[in-house]
Amino acid sequence: MPGKTPDKEPVENGGYRGGKDIDMKDNDLKPKGKKSVKDGDDEMTVVVPPSKAAQKQSSAPPPNDADGDVAMDDVDKADEGDVKVDPVVQAISDIKSNFALLERAVVLFDARFSLRALRSISSLRKRLTPEILAQVISETYSTSSSSSHVAKQLLAAIGQSEMPLGRSWAPEMEIDSEPKAPAKNGAKKESSKENKDVIPEIDVFLGILTQVLLYDNKQFRQGFEHSRYLSDRIQSLNRRSLDSLSAKVYFYYSLFAEQLKPLPPSPQSPIVSIRPTLLAALRTAVLRKDIDTQASVIVLLLRNYLLTSHIAQADLLVSHTQFPENAANNQVARFLYYLGRIRAIQLRYTEAHEHLTAATRKAPSSACALGFSQTATKLLLVVELLMGDIPDRATFRQPTMELSLKPYFLLVQAVRVGNLEDFETAIADHADTFRRDGTYTLILRLRQNVIKTGIRMMSLSYSRISLRDICIRLHLGSEESAEYIVAKAIRDGVIEATLDRERGFMKSKEVGDVYATREPGEAFHDRIRACLALHDESVKAMRFPMNQHRLELKNAQEAREREREMAKEIQDGDLDEDDLGGEFEGM
Amino acid sequence: MAERQLTQVLTQLKSSASTLSYSDASSLLSKAKLLLLQLNALTPTATQNPQLLVLARETYEQGALASIRAKNSEAFTRYVSQLSGFYELPADILPPNPQERNKVTGLYLLLLLTLGRYDEFHSELEALHVRQGVDVEGDKYLGYPIKLERWLMEGSYDRVWKAMKKGEVPCEEYSVFSEVLTGQIRTEIARSSERAYPSLPLSSTKSLLFLDSEGAVVEFARSRGWLVKDGQIIFPSTIAAEGAEGEEAQGEDDKQEMSQMVIENALGYARTLETIV
Repeated sequence: MPGKTPDKEPVENGGYRGGKDIDMKDNDLKPKGKKSVKDGDDEMTVVVPPSKAAQKQSSAPPPNDADGDVAMDDVDKADEGDVKVDPVVQAISDIKSNFALLERAVVLFDARFSLRALRSISSLRKRLTPEILAQVISETYSTSSSSSHVAKQLLAAIGQSEMPLGRSWAPEMEIDSEPKAPAKNGAKKESSKENKDVIPEIDVFLGILTQVLLYDNKQFRQGFEHSRYLSDRIQSLNRRSLDSLSAKVYFYYSLFAEQLKPLPPSPQSPIVSIRPTLLAALRTAVLRKDIDTQASVIVLLLRNYLLTSHIAQADLLVSHTQFPENAANNQVARFLYYLGRIRAIQLRYTEAHEHLTAATRKAPSSACALGFSQTATKLLLVVELLMGDIPDRATFRQPTMELSLKPYFLLVQAVRVGNLEDFETAIADHADTFRRDGTYTLILRLRQNVIKTGIRMMSLSYSRISLRDICIRLHLGSEESAEYIVAKAIRDGVIEATLDRERGFMKSKEVGDVYATREPGEAFHDRIRACLALHDESVKAMRFPMNQHRLELKNAQEAREREREMAKEIQDGDLDEDDLGGEFEGM
Repeated sequence: MAERQLTQVLTQLKSSASTLSYSDASSLLSKAKLLLLQLNALTPTATQNPQLLVLARETYEQGALASIRAKNSEAFTRYVSQLSGFYELPADILPPNPQERNKVTGLYLLLLLTLGRYDEFHSELEALHVRQGVDVEGDKYLGYPIKLERWLMEGSYDRVWKAMKKGEVPCEEYSVFSEVLTGQIRTEIARSSERAYPSLPLSSTKSLLFLDSEGAVVEFARSRGWLVKDGQIIFPSTIAAEGAEGEEAQGEDDKQEMSQMVIENALGYARTLETIV
């Protein structure tokens, strides 16, 4: 087993994050219409500077054989010399280097290799063109019966829209690949020398690349059809080594569905039609203990339900399934976000707050997942306000968040001061933003909090104030309303005061010393607990190199032998007690 | 044939909606449903004849309204869930009838509100905001429960009271809930008053609780365990506060509990620290 050396681990982790983040961005930036990054992707077929960094990253994961080294050199040459040709060759070889990983994953039955291949998608993505992919496909597949069928399907998926290009390129392609394996769309009957069957993992991997390509080129209808075919195929194949790949397939499947008209809020959207597929996938994944698919399908389903506002269904799904504990970090973050959202709608703010805080903390800190953390933070802010807390000022100062959080900042200001008028204008001015963020209905609920804060301010500043004044200051409808509202505030424990009905005023009670209560102790306890939980989590998150335990076993064996020796020596009376103690401490 | 019969039953239902007794209405409804079953239109599918779908939807809508009038909330909820299938159908298959739909949804919201199922209320609300082409707050049927909920939450009970008076209610089915809501806000006010006022004169309590006479006030006070003395209502919590001794003992208890908590926590920290180091 080619064990990973410890110093390789960080690189891989970095790649891992990068890989998943892109998806996250797609996932969460879309509703906000920030298309700049994706639009860039379309034109990025021959961009040099970003791809250099990306290529380095991608060529790091392949095992340290000759292939990897050559690839590295290629990158450097590409920078200096001929830019136009090399990226294509480079991309092709990069894609192919993943096949080795997939094969190894199957042979060794170790999912980490397929994960590694998946991670490289993000770097390949920028350089992917139909031509490159088609070339890879035609070079990979021989004419053996089953695989060629798959390859045909793949080529059809990308070839359709590229008809003119595909034709002009096809003959050239055949010449290219003739020595190796006859291109399958050309002469089919010819038997090739290396008639090695292509493993299904590679089929699916190429299928995913096709999905990515179609998505980036905005061919959603074709992507949808292709994904449906791909997911059917996965289900019919039934191979455990496909698990982590299938998670990805479903992910893109549902992305395509979301992009198709009629768009999500309408009940006729195609996302409703993919629910049975996803649910079936979830059931199978749970039965097979396929954590990757399970986690990602649950998240997809939740997203699916929330897009059409089927909150009750989403809630039922959460209560009837168990989210896998050791799922990938990004899936956990997404799951927590959706869960927080459901709970917030159900007025269970404490739980919502807990989930959302965890989601924002678990969100990758790198720039490419900014969309997710922004969305999660927005929701978190609203939930904090609903709980009666005022969010930390520092949240709004983060350079990456400042602009997008501006409307929420105004909102927080209004709530903090208790000014109903400011609050109404903030809502009216930014209603569209809030609607788009899906926080509008939650924000409407804040009205009562604004009033309560207003009353609290009054109660703190005046020892006695007439109801008429409260009514005027807070712009309440009438004195009677003011009276009821204040009475409710007193009951809810917002203020410490009494009302005098005959004379129509509110009299505040002396505020007690907070430090005499148990509150500071509780706050302290909460923080300590959070720190301890953090420590525990980081301990759990630690990874150890593969073969370390063997080493330990060996050490233990040696120690045992030494012990036996020592015991023998003690028996012989050669060693005295002090020596023995020393030996043990040394170990 | 069955279709014409169904139309007949429906017109009968609609024309005499307010005068029909519930048992009559329900017998008519079950007849209608049987006819639907014969026509195989009990549950909605996209391939059905649109006209039939409209009839089926109307049957359920009438059923929902009839069960509300009879204060049968279970039957109403059943009708609402049956209707949801029809409402999900695309507009070109089943032309929508927003007024009836909003009426039923509004009633459902109100029902959830009176039952205190706020989580479902808000889930339903969220779905409404996504529904296209509906001005949720501007609609007279949908806006009503939303406004009520907002006022209930902030505590403007007088507005709720005014909204429930005759003439303010969007349609007669809505007034069914008024009784429940009145009881609800009265309890809410009573609970707030217990905390907010040291004592209240009987005469003003009458208007505070929206009761008709002082006699009713006294009765209500008794039911909540309030003390009525010299035309004043004295709340039990203030009586308890007068017995200062009891409070002191409680304070002592509190302190003990608190120090125990602090000690427990500190021990806990020490233990965890030890495992970490």
